Amino acid sequence: MAVPGASLVPILLGLGISLAAAHSPAGVECIVFNEEYMTCTWGSGQTLTANYSLYYWYENRSPVVECQQYLWEHGVRIGCRFEQSEIIQFKPFHVHVNASQDGRTLEIPSNCMELQNLVKPGAPVNLTIRNMSSNQLQLTWSSPYPNAHCLEHVVKYKSNKDTSWMKQEVKGDIFSFPSVDYEKYYTFYVRSKINNYCGSTQLWSEWSVPVFWGSNATSKGMAEEQLQWFWIHTVLIPIASCLLLLVLVVLLVRMERVWVIIMPRIPNPSKNFDDLFITHNGDFQEWVGVPKDVVESFKSNYSESICHVSELPYEPLQDNSTHPPGLPGPQEHGPYKNSYVGA
Amino acid sequence: MERMIIFCMLFFCSSMVLTAAPPKAMKYKQLAKTIDHLKDVVKDKDVELLHTPENPEDGCLFTAMTCFQDGILKLQPKNSQVNVTFTKTVKILRRPILPDSGEHCESSCQSYERKKPQEFLNSFSKLMQKLFKNCGYTRAEGY
Repeated sequence: MAVPGASLVPILLGLGISLAAAHSPAGVECIVFNEEYMTCTWGSGQTLTANYSLYYWYENRSPVVECQQYLWEHGVRIGCRFEQSEIIQFKPFHVHVNASQDGRTLEIPSNCMELQNLVKPGAPVNLTIRNMSSNQLQLTWSSPYPNAHCLEHVVKYKSNKDTSWMKQEVKGDIFSFPSVDYEKYYTFYVRSKINNYCGSTQLWSEWSVPVFWGSNATSKGMAEEQLQWFWIHTVLIPIASCLLLLVLVVLLVRMERVWVIIMPRIPNPSKNFDDLFITHNGDFQEWVGVPKDVVESFKSNYSESICHVSELPYEPLQDNSTHPPGLPGPQEHGPYKNSYVGA
Repeated sequence: MERMIIFCMLFFCSSMVLTAAPPKAMKYKQLAKTIDHLKDVVKDKDVELLHTPENPEDGCLFTAMTCFQDGILKLQPKNSQVNVTFTKTVKILRRPILPDSGEHCESSCQSYERKKPQEFLNSFSKLMQKLFKNCGYTRAEGY
């Protein structure tokens, strides 16, 4: 029975420790912002309940001092702000944070730091692009950080046709982009970090405000504008022209002056001749009004016989006749046969 | 003609002097690089521990520098192949770096804790960082 009891003790101990750890904050995190001020934070307003106090000192130097300016969140102290005069680099910096709550003392593990390794420079500003000869771009910037020789930079860029960002490390303040395509639209970002000659840090600054370069015609924004133009052309213009056509058609129909231009009036004099064709049945003389006796006088009072004359084709003679060639016979003369038909 | 030649020579020499003399920042930068090279070739095990100044005060910089430069002499290369690099870097680091400010420093070299060569060289790098950061307010040329 003792053995299970003995094995339970370390488990309970571990559980207790982990519970305690869950309640106490992880540690104090200090960042020096651009050599201007420093903030040391130990938690957020959501997790902390007690009111902590911060004490700091530099090794072999100053007495222990309490924080002069606390940072508050939700009514609880979550950090401390140090002014430039309180920051000393290349000297071990000690921080001690504690609080008392319900009779217990809560402590955050004490840290020893060297502040030159906790510097976060400000983001680069005044990004400018210059066009050098032969398709080369030169990007320059300035940094709000006072010691420019302590910085190293990274330039992040891509064109509107690329899918991923290109990163390039730069030591100085100038970045040369070797071959620029004038059809593309480029975006550039820069950020800085303290280099190894001034500190051992991994704290990068924030990315700068971007700077752009290139032809707007092929950029995404311009593509959308082009799409807009396209819609205008395919929808608006046909509708407008249809409306115009409609107006013209209406005008055409309603206004006779316009109608006549397209459909000219072809004069139809048949109306004047209605009399002739309907009343008088096509008798022109009657319609004109020629007197009847004149009409009669044109009629003839004799008759003529009609004489039909026709010619028959040639038929050569079968035998040599006795008739002399010069004398024509009554029925056998020449190629033609005359027929005589009396009326 | 002779005067012309002399004038040109003087002009040439003066321009050489201007470009040849590196600013202090450049010197500290080069020394920091040299110390990094030395870290790669130095023997760290079974060697004598060295007095290592840690974050010296502003008045004790010369003393600390002298302490580091004396400690360099006690270092050894990690194998025979890196002997050439080792000797070259040690020679560079033995040259005078800081002028004697004449200030009296309370701590002597022996008062500092003894540490292994890698930690010794890390502290030496840190001193270089401090010097580089504090002196380079003027424009440092030649990145």
